Amino acid sequence: MGFDLAFALSSVPTILGAIGTTLCVALVSCIGAAALGFLFDMVRRVGGVGGLAIGFVIDFIRSTPVLAWLYFLYFVLPFYGIRLGSMTVGVMGLSLYYSGYLAEVFKAGIDAIPKGQSEAARALSLSRRDAVIYVIAPQMLRNIAAPLGNYFVSILKATPYLAVLAVPEMLGRAFDIASETYRYTEPLVVAGLIFLVLALVISHGVKRLERRLLAVGAR
Amino acid sequence: MPMSLFEIWLGILQGLGTTLAVTAYGLVFAAPFALVFGIAQYLTRGVAHLLVTGVIEFWRSSAVIILLFVFYYALPVVGVTLSALTVSAMVLGLNAGGYASQAVRAGLQALPPGQKEAGAALGLSRPAILLLIELPQALIAMSPTFVNTLIQLVKATALVSLVTLTDMTFRAKEIAQVEYNPVAIYTALLLAFFVVCYPIALAGRWLEARVAAPGSRSGGI
Repeated sequence: MGFDLAFALSSVPTILGAIGTTLCVALVSCIGAAALGFLFDMVRRVGGVGGLAIGFVIDFIRSTPVLAWLYFLYFVLPFYGIRLGSMTVGVMGLSLYYSGYLAEVFKAGIDAIPKGQSEAARALSLSRRDAVIYVIAPQMLRNIAAPLGNYFVSILKATPYLAVLAVPEMLGRAFDIASETYRYTEPLVVAGLIFLVLALVISHGVKRLERRLLAVGAR
Repeated sequence: MPMSLFEIWLGILQGLGTTLAVTAYGLVFAAPFALVFGIAQYLTRGVAHLLVTGVIEFWRSSAVIILLFVFYYALPVVGVTLSALTVSAMVLGLNAGGYASQAVRAGLQALPPGQKEAGAALGLSRPAILLLIELPQALIAMSPTFVNTLIQLVKATALVSLVTLTDMTFRAKEIAQVEYNPVAIYTALLLAFFVVCYPIALAGRWLEARVAAPGSRSGGI
Protein backbone atom coordinates (compact mmCIF):
# COMPACT_ATOMS: atom_id res chain seq x y z
CA MET A 1 0.00 0.00 0.00
CA GLY A 2 1.94 3.05 1.19
CA PHE A 3 1.20 6.58 0.11
CA ASP A 4 0.21 6.93 -3.56
CA LEU A 5 1.20 10.47 -4.53
CA ALA A 6 -0.43 10.29 -7.98
CA PHE A 7 -3.73 9.22 -6.41
CA ALA A 8 -3.43 11.96 -3.78
CA LEU A 9 -2.90 14.57 -6.50
CA SER A 10 -5.85 13.22 -8.48
CA SER A 11 -8.11 13.75 -5.46
CA VAL A 12 -7.07 17.42 -5.07
CA PRO A 13 -9.54 18.92 -7.62
CA THR A 14 -12.56 17.11 -6.10
CA ILE A 15 -11.69 18.12 -2.54
CA LEU A 16 -10.63 21.64 -3.48
CA GLY A 17 -13.93 21.96 -5.36
CA ALA A 18 -15.66 22.14 -1.98
CA ILE A 19 -13.48 24.96 -0.66
CA GLY A 20 -16.25 27.42 -1.52
CA THR A 21 -18.73 25.49 0.63
CA THR A 22 -16.22 25.32 3.48
CA LEU A 23 -15.42 29.06 3.38
CA CYS A 24 -19.08 29.99 2.96
CA VAL A 25 -20.16 27.83 5.92
CA ALA A 26 -17.34 29.28 8.03
CA LEU A 27 -18.18 32.89 7.10
CA VAL A 28 -21.95 32.58 7.65
CA SER A 29 -21.35 30.71 10.95
CA CYS A 30 -18.90 33.40 12.07
CA ILE A 31 -21.41 36.17 11.30
CA GLY A 32 -24.16 34.21 13.08
CA ALA A 33 -21.93 33.57 16.08
CA ALA A 34 -20.89 37.24 16.24
CA ALA A 35 -24.50 38.45 16.04
CA LEU A 36 -25.66 35.99 18.71
CA GLY A 37 -22.59 36.63 20.87
CA PHE A 38 -23.14 40.41 20.67
CA LEU A 39 -26.78 39.93 21.63
CA PHE A 40 -25.76 37.69 24.56
CA ASP A 41 -23.29 40.27 25.83
CA MET A 42 -25.83 43.09 25.54
CA VAL A 43 -28.44 41.13 27.51
CA ARG A 44 -25.79 40.25 30.09
CA ARG A 45 -24.89 43.95 30.44
CA VAL A 46 -28.51 44.87 31.15
CA GLY A 47 -28.22 42.53 34.14
CA GLY A 48 -31.13 41.27 36.24
CA VAL A 49 -32.51 37.77 35.89
CA GLY A 50 -32.11 37.82 32.09
CA GLY A 51 -28.46 38.76 32.45
CA LEU A 52 -27.81 35.96 34.94
CA ALA A 53 -29.63 33.46 32.73
CA ILE A 54 -27.57 34.46 29.68
CA GLY A 55 -24.39 34.23 31.76
CA PHE A 56 -25.35 30.64 32.58
CA VAL A 57 -26.22 29.86 28.95
CA ILE A 58 -22.76 31.10 27.90
CA ASP A 59 -21.10 28.93 30.58
CA PHE A 60 -23.18 25.95 29.49
CA ILE A 61 -22.26 26.35 25.82
CA ARG A 62 -18.58 26.70 26.70
CA SER A 63 -18.70 23.52 28.81
CA THR A 64 -20.12 21.28 26.07
CA PRO A 65 -18.58 19.91 22.84
CA VAL A 66 -19.54 21.26 19.43
CA LEU A 67 -20.14 17.70 18.20
CA ALA A 68 -22.81 17.20 20.89
CA TRP A 69 -24.50 20.45 19.80
CA LEU A 70 -24.51 19.37 16.17
CA TYR A 71 -26.15 16.03 17.07
CA PHE A 72 -28.57 17.81 19.37
CA LEU A 73 -29.82 20.19 16.68
CA TYR A 74 -29.71 17.56 13.94
CA PHE A 75 -31.90 15.07 15.82
CA VAL A 76 -33.98 17.27 18.12
CA LEU A 77 -35.28 19.83 15.60
CA PRO A 78 -37.03 17.20 13.39
CA PHE A 79 -38.59 15.75 16.56
CA TYR A 80 -40.47 19.04 16.88
CA GLY A 81 -41.34 18.99 13.18
CA ILE A 82 -38.65 21.50 12.18
CA ARG A 83 -37.05 20.06 9.04
CA LEU A 84 -33.99 21.94 7.85
CA GLY A 85 -31.18 21.05 5.48
CA SER A 86 -28.08 19.57 7.08
CA MET A 87 -26.03 22.60 6.04
CA THR A 88 -28.47 24.96 7.78
CA VAL A 89 -28.36 22.80 10.91
CA GLY A 90 -24.55 22.77 10.74
CA VAL A 91 -24.33 26.55 10.44
CA MET A 92 -26.79 26.91 13.33
CA GLY A 93 -24.71 24.54 15.46
CA LEU A 94 -21.43 26.32 14.77
CA SER A 95 -23.08 29.74 15.31
CA LEU A 96 -24.57 28.67 18.62
CA TYR A 97 -21.40 26.99 19.87
CA TYR A 98 -19.07 29.89 18.98
CA SER A 99 -21.52 32.57 20.19
CA GLY A 100 -20.54 31.56 23.73
CA TYR A 101 -16.93 32.45 22.93
CA LEU A 102 -17.67 35.58 20.92
CA ALA A 103 -19.82 36.97 23.76
CA GLU A 104 -16.58 37.03 25.78
CA VAL A 105 -14.76 38.73 22.90
CA PHE A 106 -17.38 41.51 22.85
CA LYS A 107 -17.25 41.76 26.63
CA ALA A 108 -13.48 42.20 26.64
CA GLY A 109 -13.55 44.55 23.63
CA ILE A 110 -16.12 46.85 25.22
CA ASP A 111 -14.66 46.70 28.73
CA ALA A 112 -11.26 47.71 27.36
CA ILE A 113 -12.58 51.11 26.22
CA PRO A 114 -11.65 53.64 28.91
CA LYS A 115 -14.63 55.12 30.76
CA GLY A 116 -13.30 58.59 29.93
CA GLN A 117 -14.31 58.04 26.32
CA SER A 118 -18.05 57.98 26.95
CA GLU A 119 -17.66 60.71 29.59
CA ALA A 120 -15.83 62.90 27.08
CA ALA A 121 -18.55 62.22 24.51
CA ARG A 122 -21.14 63.36 27.02
CA ALA A 123 -19.06 66.43 27.91
CA LEU A 124 -19.08 67.33 24.19
CA SER A 125 -22.89 66.97 24.44
CA LEU A 126 -23.08 64.11 21.94
CA SER A 127 -26.34 62.23 22.16
CA ARG A 128 -26.20 58.69 23.60
CA ARG A 129 -26.76 57.34 20.10
CA ASP A 130 -24.00 59.42 18.52
CA ALA A 131 -21.63 58.51 21.36
CA VAL A 132 -22.16 54.81 20.67
CA ILE A 133 -21.86 55.16 16.88
CA TYR A 134 -18.94 57.60 16.65
CA VAL A 135 -16.99 57.02 19.87
CA ILE A 136 -17.66 53.56 21.34
CA ALA A 137 -18.35 51.38 18.29
CA PRO A 138 -15.18 52.25 16.29
CA GLN A 139 -12.97 51.53 19.29
CA MET A 140 -14.83 48.31 20.03
CA LEU A 141 -14.37 47.18 16.44
CA ARG A 142 -10.65 47.87 16.68
CA ASN A 143 -10.45 45.84 19.89
CA ILE A 144 -12.40 42.85 18.61
CA ALA A 145 -11.02 42.65 15.03
CA ALA A 146 -8.06 40.39 15.87
CA PRO A 147 -9.87 38.01 18.28
CA LEU A 148 -12.76 37.81 15.83
CA GLY A 149 -10.29 36.88 13.08
CA ASN A 150 -8.79 34.18 15.30
CA TYR A 151 -12.24 32.76 15.99
CA PHE A 152 -12.94 32.78 12.27
CA VAL A 153 -9.94 30.46 11.91
CA SER A 154 -11.29 28.28 14.75
CA ILE A 155 -14.69 28.10 13.07
CA LEU A 156 -13.04 27.28 9.75
CA LYS A 157 -11.22 24.39 11.41
CA ALA A 158 -14.52 23.23 12.94
CA THR A 159 -16.35 23.11 9.58
CA PRO A 160 -15.16 19.50 8.90
CA TYR A 161 -17.35 18.48 11.87
CA LEU A 162 -20.23 19.07 9.47
CA ALA A 163 -19.09 16.00 7.53
CA VAL A 164 -20.82 13.91 10.24
CA LEU A 165 -24.09 15.56 9.15
CA ALA A 166 -23.25 14.70 5.50
CA VAL A 167 -22.61 18.33 4.51
CA PRO A 168 -20.53 18.23 1.29
CA GLU A 169 -17.61 20.32 2.57
CA MET A 170 -13.96 19.33 2.04
CA LEU A 171 -13.75 16.49 4.59
CA GLY A 172 -17.06 15.11 3.32
CA ARG A 173 -15.67 15.09 -0.23
CA ALA A 174 -12.51 13.35 1.02
CA PHE A 175 -14.66 10.62 2.61
CA ASP A 176 -16.67 10.30 -0.59
CA ILE A 177 -13.45 9.55 -2.47
CA ALA A 178 -12.31 7.21 0.31
CA SER A 179 -15.49 5.16 0.28
CA GLU A 180 -15.43 4.84 -3.52
CA THR A 181 -11.79 3.75 -3.70
CA TYR A 182 -11.23 2.17 -0.26
CA ARG A 183 -8.17 4.42 0.08
CA TYR A 184 -8.51 6.69 3.10
CA THR A 185 -5.00 8.00 3.62
CA GLU A 186 -4.49 10.09 0.49
CA PRO A 187 -7.78 12.05 0.39
CA LEU A 188 -7.66 12.66 4.15
CA VAL A 189 -4.08 13.90 3.99
CA VAL A 190 -5.01 16.19 1.09
CA ALA A 191 -8.01 17.61 3.00
CA GLY A 192 -5.86 18.04 6.11
CA LEU A 193 -3.16 19.91 4.21
CA ILE A 194 -5.67 22.24 2.53
CA PHE A 195 -7.15 23.12 5.94
CA LEU A 196 -3.68 23.61 7.42
CA VAL A 197 -2.65 25.99 4.63
CA LEU A 198 -5.95 27.90 4.87
CA ALA A 199 -5.62 28.24 8.64
CA LEU A 200 -1.98 29.38 8.47
CA VAL A 201 -2.64 31.93 5.71
CA ILE A 202 -5.65 33.47 7.45
CA SER A 203 -3.88 33.45 10.85
CA HIS A 204 -0.97 35.27 9.26
CA GLY A 205 -3.38 37.86 7.84
CA VAL A 206 -4.99 38.32 11.25
CA LYS A 207 -1.58 38.83 12.85
CA ARG A 208 -0.71 41.53 10.33
CA LEU A 209 -4.06 43.21 10.87
CA GLU A 210 -3.49 43.10 14.62
CA ARG A 211 -0.08 44.75 14.25
CA ARG A 212 -1.52 47.53 12.09
CA LEU A 213 -4.39 48.14 14.49
CA LEU A 214 -1.97 48.30 17.41
CA ALA A 215 0.10 50.86 15.48
CA VAL A 216 -3.03 52.95 14.81
CA GLY A 217 -4.03 52.67 18.46
CA ALA A 218 -0.62 53.86 19.63
CA ARG A 219 -0.74 57.04 17.54
CA MET B 1 -40.86 -0.41 27.61
CA PRO B 2 -39.29 3.01 26.97
CA MET B 3 -36.25 3.98 28.99
CA SER B 4 -36.72 6.57 31.70
CA LEU B 5 -34.73 9.79 31.71
CA PHE B 6 -32.67 8.38 34.53
CA GLU B 7 -31.85 5.21 32.57
CA ILE B 8 -30.80 7.26 29.54
CA TRP B 9 -28.55 9.37 31.72
CA LEU B 10 -27.02 6.28 33.32
CA GLY B 11 -26.54 4.72 29.90
CA ILE B 12 -24.60 7.76 28.70
CA LEU B 13 -22.52 7.85 31.87
CA GLN B 14 -21.31 4.32 31.03
CA GLY B 15 -19.10 6.14 28.53
CA LEU B 16 -17.68 8.50 31.15
CA GLY B 17 -14.80 6.14 31.87
CA THR B 18 -13.64 6.26 28.24
CA THR B 19 -14.08 10.05 28.09
CA LEU B 20 -11.93 10.46 31.21
CA ALA B 21 -9.40 7.84 30.08
CA VAL B 22 -8.85 9.58 26.73
CA THR B 23 -8.50 12.91 28.57
CA ALA B 24 -5.97 11.55 31.08
CA TYR B 25 -4.05 9.62 28.42
CA GLY B 26 -4.16 12.75 26.23
CA LEU B 27 -2.57 14.79 29.02
CA VAL B 28 0.34 12.34 29.01
CA PHE B 29 1.05 13.60 25.48
CA ALA B 30 -0.06 17.20 25.96
CA ALA B 31 1.93 18.22 29.03
CA PRO B 32 5.43 17.11 27.93
CA PHE B 33 4.82 18.44 24.41
CA ALA B 34 3.69 21.84 25.70
CA LEU B 35 6.65 22.12 28.07
CA VAL B 36 9.37 20.91 25.72
CA PHE B 37 8.18 22.75 22.62
CA GLY B 38 7.11 25.91 24.48
CA ILE B 39 10.55 26.19 26.09
CA ALA B 40 12.28 25.26 22.82
CA GLN B 41 10.40 27.95 20.94
CA TYR B 42 11.41 30.46 23.63
CA LEU B 43 15.11 29.52 23.65
CA THR B 44 15.90 28.69 20.02
CA ARG B 45 16.83 31.06 17.18
CA GLY B 46 17.21 30.66 13.43
CA VAL B 47 16.65 27.30 11.74
CA ALA B 48 15.99 25.44 15.01
CA HIS B 49 13.31 28.00 15.88
CA LEU B 50 11.65 27.51 12.49
CA LEU B 51 11.64 23.71 12.94
CA VAL B 52 10.16 23.93 16.44
CA THR B 53 7.52 26.42 15.24
CA GLY B 54 6.73 24.16 12.29
CA VAL B 55 6.03 21.16 14.53
CA ILE B 56 3.88 23.27 16.88
CA GLU B 57 1.91 24.81 14.02
CA PHE B 58 1.26 21.40 12.48
CA TRP B 59 -0.43 20.17 15.67
CA ARG B 60 -2.04 23.47 16.60
CA SER B 61 -3.28 24.83 13.27
CA SER B 62 -4.59 21.61 11.73
CA ALA B 63 -8.27 20.75 12.02
CA VAL B 64 -8.21 18.24 14.88
CA ILE B 65 -11.03 16.08 13.45
CA ILE B 66 -9.03 15.57 10.23
CA LEU B 67 -5.80 14.89 12.17
CA LEU B 68 -7.63 12.16 14.07
CA PHE B 69 -8.95 10.52 10.90
CA VAL B 70 -5.60 10.84 9.11
CA PHE B 71 -3.67 9.14 11.91
CA TYR B 72 -6.41 6.59 12.50
CA TYR B 73 -6.42 5.49 8.84
CA ALA B 74 -2.85 6.28 7.77
CA LEU B 75 -0.74 4.80 10.58
CA PRO B 76 -1.72 1.17 9.80
CA VAL B 77 -0.92 1.85 6.11
CA VAL B 78 2.67 2.75 7.00
CA GLY B 79 2.88 -0.28 9.28
CA VAL B 80 2.25 1.36 12.67
CA THR B 81 -0.63 -0.34 14.46
CA LEU B 82 -1.81 1.51 17.55
CA SER B 83 -5.09 1.05 19.40
CA ALA B 84 -7.86 3.57 18.69
CA LEU B 85 -7.41 4.78 22.26
CA THR B 86 -3.70 5.49 21.80
CA VAL B 87 -4.17 7.22 18.43
CA SER B 88 -6.98 9.37 19.87
CA ALA B 89 -5.01 10.28 22.98
CA MET B 90 -1.95 11.14 20.89
CA VAL B 91 -3.77 13.32 18.36
CA LEU B 92 -6.04 15.11 20.83
CA GLY B 93 -3.19 15.41 23.32
CA LEU B 94 -0.66 16.86 20.89
CA ASN B 95 -3.30 19.25 19.52
CA ALA B 96 -4.02 20.50 23.05
CA GLY B 97 -0.28 20.47 23.75
CA GLY B 98 0.25 22.71 20.72
CA TYR B 99 -2.14 25.28 22.20
CA ALA B 100 -0.59 24.98 25.65
CA SER B 101 2.94 25.35 24.23
CA GLN B 102 1.98 28.86 23.12
CA ALA B 103 0.94 29.67 26.68
CA VAL B 104 4.28 28.33 27.97
CA ARG B 105 6.22 30.45 25.47
CA ALA B 106 4.09 33.57 26.04
CA GLY B 107 4.41 33.14 29.82
CA LEU B 108 8.21 32.96 29.55
CA GLN B 109 8.37 35.93 27.17
CA ALA B 110 6.16 38.05 29.42
CA LEU B 111 8.57 37.87 32.37
CA PRO B 112 10.56 41.07 32.98
CA PRO B 113 14.17 40.66 31.73
CA GLY B 114 15.34 41.64 35.19
CA GLN B 115 14.40 38.15 36.42
CA LYS B 116 16.86 36.46 34.09
CA GLU B 117 19.51 39.11 34.74
CA ALA B 118 19.15 38.78 38.50
CA GLY B 119 19.63 35.02 38.16
CA ALA B 120 22.75 35.56 36.07
CA ALA B 121 24.06 38.11 38.60
CA LEU B 122 23.68 35.44 41.30
CA GLY B 123 25.90 33.18 39.23
CA LEU B 124 23.19 30.69 38.24
CA SER B 125 23.66 28.68 35.06
CA ARG B 126 21.18 29.18 32.18
CA PRO B 127 19.33 25.87 32.88
CA ALA B 128 19.11 26.79 36.57
CA ILE B 129 17.70 30.23 35.72
CA LEU B 130 15.09 28.61 33.47
CA LEU B 131 14.16 25.91 35.96
CA LEU B 132 14.28 27.86 39.23
CA ILE B 133 13.32 31.39 38.21
CA GLU B 134 11.57 31.63 34.86
CA LEU B 135 9.46 28.45 34.58
CA PRO B 136 7.77 28.55 38.01
CA GLN B 137 6.62 32.13 37.47
CA ALA B 138 5.56 31.56 33.86
CA LEU B 139 3.63 28.36 34.61
CA ILE B 140 1.77 29.90 37.55
CA ALA B 141 0.91 33.00 35.54
CA MET B 142 -0.40 30.89 32.68
CA SER B 143 -2.23 28.30 34.81
CA PRO B 144 -5.72 29.64 33.96
CA THR B 145 -4.90 29.17 30.26
CA PHE B 146 -3.85 25.57 30.92
CA VAL B 147 -7.19 24.96 32.64
CA ASN B 148 -9.00 26.30 29.56
CA THR B 149 -6.94 24.00 27.35
CA LEU B 150 -7.89 21.07 29.61
CA ILE B 151 -11.58 21.90 29.08
CA GLN B 152 -10.99 22.04 25.32
CA LEU B 153 -9.34 18.61 25.56
CA VAL B 154 -12.26 17.07 27.48
CA LYS B 155 -14.67 18.46 24.89
CA ALA B 156 -12.51 17.28 21.99
CA THR B 157 -12.75 13.70 23.30
CA ALA B 158 -16.29 13.63 21.87
CA LEU B 159 -14.48 13.03 18.57
CA VAL B 160 -13.31 9.56 19.63
CA SER B 161 -16.89 8.37 19.12
CA LEU B 162 -16.11 8.66 15.39
CA VAL B 163 -13.23 6.17 15.66
CA THR B 164 -15.26 3.46 17.44
CA LEU B 165 -14.42 4.26 21.09
CA THR B 166 -17.46 3.99 23.37
CA ASP B 167 -17.26 7.37 25.08
CA MET B 168 -20.34 9.31 26.25
CA THR B 169 -21.10 10.58 22.73
CA PHE B 170 -20.89 7.05 21.31
CA ARG B 171 -23.19 5.78 24.07
CA ALA B 172 -25.71 8.53 23.22
CA LYS B 173 -25.74 7.41 19.59
CA GLU B 174 -26.09 3.76 20.62
CA ILE B 175 -29.06 4.56 22.85
CA ALA B 176 -30.58 6.65 20.05
CA GLN B 177 -30.66 3.50 17.91
CA VAL B 178 -32.92 1.61 20.29
CA GLU B 179 -34.89 4.51 21.75
CA TYR B 180 -36.63 7.27 19.82
CA ASN B 181 -36.23 10.07 22.33
CA PRO B 182 -33.66 12.46 20.85
CA VAL B 183 -34.59 15.34 23.16
CA ALA B 184 -33.83 13.36 26.32
CA ILE B 185 -30.79 11.58 24.90
CA TYR B 186 -28.95 14.60 23.52
CA THR B 187 -29.93 16.86 26.41
CA ALA B 188 -28.50 14.21 28.73
CA LEU B 189 -25.31 14.12 26.64
CA LEU B 190 -24.88 17.90 26.86
CA LEU B 191 -25.57 17.77 30.60
CA ALA B 192 -23.05 14.96 31.08
CA PHE B 193 -20.28 17.07 29.51
CA PHE B 194 -21.43 20.11 31.47
CA VAL B 195 -21.14 18.18 34.73
CA VAL B 196 -17.54 17.26 33.86
CA CYS B 197 -16.37 20.59 32.41
CA TYR B 198 -18.15 23.22 34.48
CA PRO B 199 -16.36 22.41 37.77
CA ILE B 200 -13.06 22.63 35.87
CA ALA B 201 -14.13 26.03 34.50
CA LEU B 202 -15.02 27.23 38.01
CA ALA B 203 -11.65 26.01 39.31
CA GLY B 204 -10.00 27.92 36.46
CA ARG B 205 -11.83 31.10 37.43
CA TRP B 206 -10.76 30.70 41.04
CA LEU B 207 -7.19 30.18 39.87
CA GLU B 208 -7.39 33.25 37.63
CA ALA B 209 -8.53 35.41 40.55
CA ARG B 210 -5.68 34.06 42.68
CA VAL B 211 -3.03 34.60 40.02
CA ALA B 212 -4.28 38.11 39.27
CA ALA B 213 -4.48 39.01 42.99
CA PRO B 214 -2.74 42.35 43.48
CA GLY B 215 0.28 42.65 45.75
CA SER B 216 1.24 38.98 45.65
CA ARG B 217 3.90 38.40 43.03
CA SER B 218 3.23 34.70 42.65
CA GLY B 219 -0.48 35.24 43.11
CA GLY B 220 -0.47 33.71 46.57
CA ILE B 221 -0.08 30.16 45.31
